[in-house]
Amino acid sequence: MPKILKPSQPERCIGCEMCVFEAQRQLKKVGMEESLIRVFRKKSEGKNVEFELEIDPRINILDVEKISSICPRSVFEILTEQDPEDEKDIKPEK
Amino acid sequence: MIDLSIKKILDIDLEKQEAEAKSFTDLNSYFGGTGLGLRLLEMYSDKNPIIISVGPLNGFFPFTSKASIVLIDEGAVEDIYLGGSLSTRIKFAGLDSIVIHGVAKEKTVIEIQNSAAFLREESTDVWSLGLPGKRTIMEFDGKKVISDQYFTTPENYLEKKFIEKNIKGISITGTEIYSPKNFDDYENLYEEILSRKNELGVEPGGYPSCSGCPMGCGKSKIGEIGGNILLNSLVACQYADKIYTDIGTVFSCLNSLGYGYTHEDIENLPALVEKTIRKI
Repeated sequence: MPKILKPSQPERCIGCEMCVFEAQRQLKKVGMEESLIRVFRKKSEGKNVEFELEIDPRINILDVEKISSICPRSVFEILTEQDPEDEKDIKPEK
Repeated sequence: MIDLSIKKILDIDLEKQEAEAKSFTDLNSYFGGTGLGLRLLEMYSDKNPIIISVGPLNGFFPFTSKASIVLIDEGAVEDIYLGGSLSTRIKFAGLDSIVIHGVAKEKTVIEIQNSAAFLREESTDVWSLGLPGKRTIMEFDGKKVISDQYFTTPENYLEKKFIEKNIKGISITGTEIYSPKNFDDYENLYEEILSRKNELGVEPGGYPSCSGCPMGCGKSKIGEIGGNILLNSLVACQYADKIYTDIGTVFSCLNSLGYGYTHEDIENLPALVEKTIRKI
């Protein structure tokens, strides 16, 4: 079953970019260019630093479990796409 | 593509409003970070520079997420360390050091994109510069220089220099990549070092973290000052000293990336840096 990486708790992100570098390593490169995950620091007037995640759907051809597990804050969950014949929903993996 | 066989310096002259990338093959023995920064301080000693440097492991290995800043304050050489995303952006700009010297006539915003720099007028919103997700924004709010809206340095050495030189802010974007030849060896070593996070002198937390470090420890907010020459030349975190003061580990990391350093080069670094400090 295809697996889908979803940032289900983006508010927990601390901006470490471990997920970005893991995705890049799976593509045999080091750097930020053409990364399939991007972490943005939002400009805010308050004291809280907030992060925003942008994920390219092509990420799902990679080992998304490894990307999810490297996150120290459990920002991601893995969804499993069910066979459309059985069910059209996407269910969280147990 | 990042070239590890040279040291690439971005020279920014605020007085002449010029910038130039320079490549050196004879600075490799200084490794990077504070070692390289001090050698450049010797070379630029009459120009009152701010020298921001990264080390050979920044951007490649975990817990090597600081940038070194070397300057002269009231006649004394100071070395301070700033966390956040700055070190990875400088590395992925393909640079080893940024040397900022001279005094700008008007308040200036510096925009760095890989090895090019552009000097913008005061009214420029630093947040309008660079590429989101691949940049670091450093802003001076009149009291502290703040990077990534969170990270600062100890004391006020950097702030004094920003005032002296009329710097309002800096945006640094890095879009270069690198692909180690023996990628599997590199990846295995990366994972081995990442698995040693229980050897760090900090506990994991939920604070904004430095790029490439999963700890979120909170202690990196104010950066570091002084310390071990090898750690500071690699610009590893001081809390990762058990990992990055081990010469065998450092050699393996450097070797996996394709640097040509020997064990002797690593062992000789402290003496070389001390000799450089005496010359300054």
